[in-house]
This record gives sequence, structure tokens and C-alpha cells, in this order.
Amino acid sequence: MKRDFQSFLLYLFGFLLLWEWLRPVEQLTETDHIEMFVIFILLSFLLAFLRMKWIWQTIVKLWFIFFSLNMFHYEEGFFQVTWLTFFTNDLPANFKMIIARNWLGMTNEFRTFLLFILLWLMVYLVHYWLLNRKRLFIFFFMTLIYITVLDTFTLYSAKTAIVRTVVVGFAVMGMLTYYRILAKENVISDSFTIRKWMRPLVFMIAFSVITGIIAPKFAPIWPDPVPYLKAASKNDREDGPGNGIAKVGYGTDDSRLGGPFIGDDSIVFRSEAVEKNYWKVETKDHYTGKGWIPSESTPFRIGGEDVIPIFPIPSNVETRVESASLFMFMDYNHLIYPAGIQRVQFQRNYMLEIDSTKEKISILNNTDSSPVAPDSYSMEYKVPKYHAADLRETTAADPEQIDAEFVARYTQLPDNLPGRVRELAESITEKESNWFDKAKAVERHFGGSGFTYSQSDVAIPGENDDYVDQFLFETKIGYCDNFSTSMAVLLRSIGIPTRWVKGYTGGEFLEYSEDDSSKQIYEVTNNNAHSWVEVYFPNQGWVPFEPTKGFTNTISIDYTNDDGTTPATEATAQPTPKPQQDVEKNSSSSQKKDQTFSFNGFWISAKVFLDKNWKWIVIFVLVVIGTIGLIYRLRGKWIPRLYLFQFRMRKKDENIGKAYLILLDQLERYGLKRNQGQTLRNYARYIDTFFATREMSKLTDRYEQYLYHQKLPEGSWKDSRELWENLIKKTIA
Amino acid sequence: MAREQMNPIIEKILLNIEKVMIGKRNVAELSLIALLAEGHVLLEDVPGVGKTMMVRALAKSVNANFRRIQFTPDLLPSDVTGISIYNPKEMEFQFRPGPLMGNIILADEINRTSPKTQSALLEGMEEASVTIDGVTHRLQKPFFVMATQNPIEYEGTYPLPEAQLDRFLLKMKMGYPEVDEEIEVLNRAQKVPPIEDLHPVIDLEGLIALQKEIKEVYVDPTIKRYIVDIVNLTRKFAGVYLGASPRGSIALMKTAQAYAFMYGRDYILPDDIQYLAPFVLSHRIILKSEAKFEGISAEEIVTRIIARIPVPIQRLVK
Repeated sequence: MKRDFQSFLLYLFGFLLLWEWLRPVEQLTETDHIEMFVIFILLSFLLAFLRMKWIWQTIVKLWFIFFSLNMFHYEEGFFQVTWLTFFTNDLPANFKMIIARNWLGMTNEFRTFLLFILLWLMVYLVHYWLLNRKRLFIFFFMTLIYITVLDTFTLYSAKTAIVRTVVVGFAVMGMLTYYRILAKENVISDSFTIRKWMRPLVFMIAFSVITGIIAPKFAPIWPDPVPYLKAASKNDREDGPGNGIAKVGYGTDDSRLGGPFIGDDSIVFRSEAVEKNYWKVETKDHYTGKGWIPSESTPFRIGGEDVIPIFPIPSNVETRVESASLFMFMDYNHLIYPAGIQRVQFQRNYMLEIDSTKEKISILNNTDSSPVAPDSYSMEYKVPKYHAADLRETTAADPEQIDAEFVARYTQLPDNLPGRVRELAESITEKESNWFDKAKAVERHFGGSGFTYSQSDVAIPGENDDYVDQFLFETKIGYCDNFSTSMAVLLRSIGIPTRWVKGYTGGEFLEYSEDDSSKQIYEVTNNNAHSWVEVYFPNQGWVPFEPTKGFTNTISIDYTNDDGTTPATEATAQPTPKPQQDVEKNSSSSQKKDQTFSFNGFWISAKVFLDKNWKWIVIFVLVVIGTIGLIYRLRGKWIPRLYLFQFRMRKKDENIGKAYLILLDQLERYGLKRNQGQTLRNYARYIDTFFATREMSKLTDRYEQYLYHQKLPEGSWKDSRELWENLIKKTIA
Repeated sequence: MAREQMNPIIEKILLNIEKVMIGKRNVAELSLIALLAEGHVLLEDVPGVGKTMMVRALAKSVNANFRRIQFTPDLLPSDVTGISIYNPKEMEFQFRPGPLMGNIILADEINRTSPKTQSALLEGMEEASVTIDGVTHRLQKPFFVMATQNPIEYEGTYPLPEAQLDRFLLKMKMGYPEVDEEIEVLNRAQKVPPIEDLHPVIDLEGLIALQKEIKEVYVDPTIKRYIVDIVNLTRKFAGVYLGASPRGSIALMKTAQAYAFMYGRDYILPDDIQYLAPFVLSHRIILKSEAKFEGISAEEIVTRIIARIPVPIQRLVK
């Protein structure tokens, strides 16, 4: 292969394919300066194309590699040799790391270097496949697999990558096939043969790609395989980011919410308390559009027995003091506590570290401040009893009562929150005047039939989606995070301060306590991990709300009004329905709804699609029918080629049986008909006269032996195949 | 198509016959086939076209004992089979074999004699033995009868019954020679008849060995099926009063074996069947009178049947 335009094209395609391997690297890993690597492969292909002597190639490439290394990792200039000695001095250690398979132990410089070497190898391989083997299918296929796997399992979107790869891959394979045929048949290529080959190739690729792009695409029939795969491999990833599947449980990273999760009934703790209540771990205040992050704060420490200085229940709220004990089954060094906590008692002397923003309380060892996870502790806490009348007092943020900064912090919303969220909040709450009723209205909104509780069919917001917006207007399927975040955001959008609380529901009743008969023991598992909302009322403090379908929080609110409009006290359900059961019930009932919903949706969208595009569909169907008809009409031209290809692979003498019958069919299609009473020998004579050969008679003689004698000379297939191929070719020539 | 390589011995025999017979190679071939397939031939033709010459040449080539019986209305069965005569010297009956006790017998104008005599001949043909005065005499081996028959329109004849026609493996017509051939006949007639100079190609043992070998010729199931299909259709074909019997199927197979062997093959082709079927089957079919009036001959019926039956072109699916 010379330095001509064709080989230039081949190298260009090789470069483009290899580039596809580097594109996701930038997005998915923390690799910087990816452009240098791209330039490197470009350079390598260029050198290969220019057919530079290998020694010069090596020198240029090495120079480039070291120049890049210097640029990335060292501050000295390239010509100061010190950095190079650093690099070489690190080499032995790095090689040891490789042998020890301690991949993370290698220095960054060395990893960069290895990546360059890998790319070098790949360029050489691609070059070899392109010019020597003239086959690239494996590489192309691997590229496709790589892209699709990344698309499935990571954030990388292969929408355009797959199109690029298909175009480039098929183009290069088409060209290579042409050169392979040239080499094999000893044909001298001229511009005519090239055009004859390349034009249909370009046309076919363009046609298939354009068809692929403009053709309507249905949603996948199979659900996303990722959750199943993840569930199958028992790979615990409690703190995983929002994408992929998570196992239910308490996690710390909430910056990307969404996605399905699977249940996990490992026990977290047992509580001994007078009643069932929600257990808090932390709160978060900053909504990003994808999830929650805590705003900055300075943690501070207090003694283990001190009053815990988190936001207290104001003194004007009626409270009673209760105590509860927790027996931990999992090692957590944070406190799991009920709202209104006052003090903690440990078996030993510990310190507490309090994050005032998150209200997360960590337990530290008194001596060396290291985190500890105590087996059990007991707590003293206040249980509030709110009066609806008091709650209803707040109608707007009074600057005298609340600090403006505080309001700003707890009504924070991302700038790109879609406007319709606020519109929805306004329309839900338009009849209500005070904050409490507005909050209740929003809470009720989620109880409506539009929303479905599910743990499995939960979407992950895409790049440009808002987590809340997607849930409220598009999917309406989700679990506690969806409901609680949405409620918090809705209320924030109309200026009511809210925060997002994480913790556990009350768990399942186990038995009555043996020590204290007034107390009950509940068991809380990872399935009880939960999130809910707290709304701030200037005169009442943070009051919890429970928007999630099928869940009830045990707070008591006295609805007895001054004017007696609401006579009864809402005795909060006690005991509340078992949350875990609820989860299951909900998910099964929601599945049904889900199906009808999606079927109806599909039906409607199909109708709309038909109405809009029926002309195109008719044209499309006609074109398809026409194409199929044409293909059928021309079957005499292409079917034999398939057979030629098929029988080329075969070795057995007995193949003549099938091959001969195919030839008879083909001759008949060609127009040389055999009467049913005509013997093969007679027919063969007729064919031979027609084509002026003797091949048919020879082949027929073989076939007669096969058919009427059940015997064939050993190894006759080779000759027979040649005769057969010649005859078939005559019919398609 | 390349002419197939004939079996060398058979080719020699045929060449031998051709020395005395001009043209008519197919008749010679068919006769030889009947001989090899251990059957008998019925030649239907006018006198004087060289039937005797051919049979004699055939007999000479295989070194066989040739006998000729001229059938006349007054011929008695014992004139054919032989007779026991009282020998006064030995004081007992002695069997004197008739002309049937040869290897190759020319039964000339078989339809001129009485049915009684005809059946004596036909019994011998079928059983390969004759019974005279309660004693069964086995005939010689090989035993081959070539009967000739004047076309039936001639007067003073006893047409062979259908059941007896069935005993002949083949029936054929000789026909007049071509003009060139007839001139050649005249040329040869000026010289001494060359029949005396013919030398045998093989002896009788050799012939028997060939006959045995022919039975080994492979008949594929597809071919058997093809034969049966053809014979079956003769029984149902429009214009046919009575079709060929299973004996007809056997005959077709045996002749095809001999024919394939003659052409150096050890397996049968449908081509063989197609070529032989008119000779094997036409005398086994009785036409309806309507067909006769329409002038359709039995040969034509067989040809039509062959065109109708699909040639097997792939192996039978079991």
C-alpha cells in the first residue's frame, strides 16, 4: 500500500475509531489533557501513513510522550533534566506495584506513561489490521461493545458515538473488503472499479445511517438491565451515586437522587420506647436540581452528657419528656435520634461532634477523638404536641420573627428550576392562606391518585432534567426521596422554609420490653430508611410532614380550634401501619397501575404518531414492500451468491446432493426448464449445448453416482464444487 | 455427452454380430440384453430382414448351441420338446431331445403353430424345463429363445395369448434397413456368407458368469420407485384395458441391470429405464378397443407414461 489517498482514508478511519475509545475517558474518569492523547494517536497514524522509518517514528513518539509527561506532571522546563531523573527513579517502584497488582499505588506520571504506551500499541495493531490483514471487524466490534457497555452502565451517552462508529466502521470494512478481493483475484484496480465499488458502499452506508437516524425509535422493550445485573452481583453499594441501583439503607451522599433500589432487611437497630416514632440522622438544606447537599458548616464538640444544642422545640409548644434506648446492630458512629432530643447516655464516656447545619451528631472517643460506634445508648427527648391554631398563625415570613438569611437558606432553589414547579405549588395552595394549611395541601397533593409508590421503576434525571420536575410532571413514580424532595421544593418555591430530613421510620413491633412494661421494642432494618420534610414555623420550630404515599408520621396535632370548627383531635394513628408491609403493598399495587398507565400512554402516543405521520408511514410501507418485491424479483442474482459463499466453506463430498438441487432451481429460474419426465443426463446435455460447455454433464455424472448409486469417489467435492460454481456463475453473469 | 465406455466383452460380441448384420445395432443390443438378463425375446417383423442371421451370429459369438424351429400349423409339441421312443434293442423308451434342448433357439413364426405347441415352447421358456411322459427334463443353461412373429394381420395365424406374451422379456421390431445399409447388404451377399467365419468371443461359462454379475448391478430405491411408478401408471392410464403385471416391473429392472452393465455401469439410471420401457412394457399392455380405433399403439402409451412420471432427482426421504 502506497502513500495514496486510499491508505490515507484507511488511516483516518482507524484514527476515528481509536478516538472513540478515548472520548468517554474524559467524561468518566479524572483524566485531564485528553487532547494530548488524541494528538498522540493522530501523530502515530500520521507517521505510519508517511511510512517514516521505525527508528524515527520511535524517536518522535518518545519525544512526544516525554514532552507530555513533563507538561502534565512537572513544573520544570522540558530541558531541565531533573524531572526526568525523578521519573526514572520512580520506575522500579512502579514496576513493583505492577507485579504486586497494586494498581492504585502507581504514580500518576507512570500511569500517564503506560496509557501512552497502550495507545502506541493500539495504533500499531490498527495499522497492522488495516494494511496487512486487511480485516478490522474485531476491532470495530470491540469498539461497539465498549461504547454500548459504557452507555448502559455509566453516564456516558453514546447517541452520537454509535452513529460515528457505525459509519466509520462500515466504511473501513467496505474498503478493506474491496482491497482483499483485489489482492485475492489479482485484479488491477483502476478508477472504474473503485467507483463501481465505492459508490454503492457510500450509498448503502448513507442510506442505512439516514434511515437509522430518521426512523422512529421505540422505547426499549426490555427494562434497563443494570438493576438486575447489580442485584445479581451482590455488590453492596450503599453510598453509591444516584445512577445505577442502590441498596436501600442509610447513605450519606444525596447529591444525585433517583434510580431504582432493592430492599435489604438487615437490622440496623432495635429501639425501646413508649411509642413508635421516626428516627432522624441528619437534615440537608441545599437542593441542587439533582439531589441534596449540605451547605458549609463548622462542626463543634460537646461532652457526651451535655444538652444537645440542635434547633430546639420552642418553649411555647406543649411537650412531654420521654426516654428511649437504642441497641445498635450496625456500626454507625452517628447518633440516631428522635426529634426533640435533649441528652444522650452512653455506657462509657464519649464526646459528641455536632454538625449544626446537618444536625448530624457523631460520636467520638473521649481520648483520641476517633469515631466510635457504641453498641447501645439511651436518650431523653421531648415529644411535642402542636396546636393547629398555633401552626396556622404564620402566613408569611415576618422579618421580625425570622432572620432573612435563615429564610434565604431554607428557601434556596436552583436557578434552573422549571417555572411550572412554582406554578403547581401556587395552584395547589391557592385556597390556603397560612403556611400550615399550604403545607398540608401540598402533602395531600401527593396522596392523590396521580402518584405511585415504587422502588423499582424510578427514573434517574438526565443531564437537563430536574429531579423534582421530572417526578412531579413526567414520571409520578417514586419512593420517599421523590416525595419528600418534591414537597420541600414545592413549599420553598412559594417561600416557605423547608429542609429535607433523613433517617428511619419506626420499624416493626417486636415485643414488649421486659424491664419496663410501658415500653415497646421495635426493630428497624435498612428497609426502614426514609426521608421526609420539616417545615419551619417561626413560632413552632421545625415541624415534620410526611408526603410519601403509604407512610404516616406519628406527630400529634391538636385541631381543636378557638372557635371550635374542628372539634376532634386528630389522634395520630398508633400504632401506624407497618411501613415495610406498606412498601410491599404499594409496590405491588403500583405495578398494576403502572402497566395500565403505560399501556394507555403507549396507545395514545401511537395514535398521535399515526395521525401525524400516516403519509410517511404509507410511503415507508410502500417502499419496504417495493424493496422486498425487488429483492424477490432479483433473487436469481443474489441467492446463488449466498450459496456460493455457503458451499465454499464445506468439505464433504455429500454436499453435491444439496448443491446440485440448488443448481437445478437456479437453472430453472434462469429459464432453462427441465420437464419432469426428462432425465438429468438428458437435461445436462441440453444445458451444456446452451452454455457450450461440458461441465453440466460432468457434474451430473457425479450427481447420478451420488443419487442412484449412493456412492461417490473420495474427495470429489473439490472438483464438483468447481464445476458447480462455474455453472452457478454462468447463470448470474 | 461422452459416449459411455461399454463393457469390453459385450462390445466385442456386438462387433462380432455387426460383422454379419448391417445396422440394427439396437436390435442386437436388446437381444444381447435379453440373453444376459436370462429372458427371451419376441421379434415381430416380416420375413427376410435378417432375424436368423442375427441370432446365429449371437449364438456363434457366445459359442452357444444354436437351434432353429420353424413353426408350422401341423407342428406337434413333441416336435419341439423331444420324444421318448421305444428302443427295441434296449427294450425301453429312450428320450430323444427335441430342438428345445439347445442354448439359443430361434422359434420362427411362432404364431403360425397351434396353441398347444406354442404352450409347450412357452412352458419351457418359463420353467427352464420340459416334462415329457411324466419325466422332467431340465433345459440347458443358458437358455435363450428368440421367437419371431409375423404381424397379426396376416392370415392363418394363431395370435399368442396375452398371458404368454408376458413370458417374453422384450418385444421389438426389426424394421427394414436404411438405403445405404441395404446396399451394403447387397455387397456382402455377393461374397460367401461371413457367418461361417465368426469366432466365439466368450464361452458359455463366461456368459453365465456375466449373467451372475449383472444381478449385482445396484438398483437404488429411487429407481425401484421409479419403475413401480411407471408400471403402476400403465394400470390406470386412459385407453389401457389391462396394465403390466409385477412381472413387468421385474422385467424392467432386470433389463435395466443388463443395460447398465452393458454400458459399463454398476448402477441403473432413469435413462436406462426410459430407453427400455417401451420394449419391456408395450407387449404387456392390452389396449381398449377405442384406443385401437384411434390408432394409438402400446408403444406410444408407454412413451406418454414415461413423460408423465417425474424422474427421481433427489434421494428418498426416509
